[in-house]
Amino acid sequence: MQRRQFLNLTLGALALAVVPASVQAQDYRKSKPAVWHAHTVDDAMKNLYGTSTFIKSGVKVKAPDVASNGGAIPVDFSADMPIKSIAVLQDANPEAAVCVYEATKYSVNKYSVKIKMAKSGTITIVALGQDGKVYGATKTLDVALGGCEG
Amino acid sequence: MKIKAKLKNGVVKVKALAKHQMSTYNMMEKKTGNREDANFITHISATVNGETVFDASTSQFLSKNPIFKFAFQGIGAKGDKLVMTWVDRKGNTKSGKSKIK
Repeated sequence: MQRRQFLNLTLGALALAVVPASVQAQDYRKSKPAVWHAHTVDDAMKNLYGTSTFIKSGVKVKAPDVASNGGAIPVDFSADMPIKSIAVLQDANPEAAVCVYEATKYSVNKYSVKIKMAKSGTITIVALGQDGKVYGATKTLDVALGGCEG
Repeated sequence: MKIKAKLKNGVVKVKALAKHQMSTYNMMEKKTGNREDANFITHISATVNGETVFDASTSQFLSKNPIFKFAFQGIGAKGDKLVMTWVDRKGNTKSGKSKIK
C-alpha cells in the first residue's frame, strides 16, 4: 500500500514537472483557428494579435525582388527585440497565413523558410514583442510563375 | 527528414528539410476534385534534451519539401541530439534526429 502511494506521488510530481514544457509550445492552428481562414493580411493579423497595425521597425524581411519560381520563394526574417511569436503573412494566395513561429527562451530570432505564392504580392512579417507591441516589415515582390496551381 | 545542426560561437544553427508534398486545397481540387484531399504539415517542432527550441504552426503555403532554418542558444552541446517532429493535416507524424556538430 505504501509503495503504491509513493508511486502515485512520484507520478503526480512527474506530471506536474512535464506540464510547463507543453504549455510553452502553442499550436496556433488549434488556439487561433480563425487566423488560418482569413483571406486578407489585415484579418489574419486581427485574429492573431488583435490589431491590423504594426510598428515598422525591429523586424527585417529579405526575399528576392523577382521570384522565378513561385513554388519555392526563400524568405529570411528576423527580429531584433525579444519576441513571443513571429508570423509570415502574404496577400497573393487564397488565405493569408503561411506560418506562425512561437519563440522559445532559447530562440535566436533569425529564421528562413521557403514559401509558395500564386502571384506577385506582398509578404508581411509581424512579430509580437515581449512588451506586448506588434512590430512588422513588408516586402513586395514579383512572381514570374505562380506556385499554388500545381 | 534531413537535419543539420552546427554549434558555433555558442549558437546552434539548424537547417532542416521535411519531405512532404504540401498540397494546397486549390491544387487538390484541380487534381482530384476534392478540396479535402489537401495535405500539408500543420505543426513542426524541435527539442534538445526535452526542451523545445523551435515551434511552428504552418499552413499549405510552405513550399513542397519545405526547408526550415532557425537558431538557438543557451542549450545544446556538441553531440547532443536535436529531435524534430512534424504533424500533417491527416494526422501523420514523423520525426528525425541529428547530433549537434
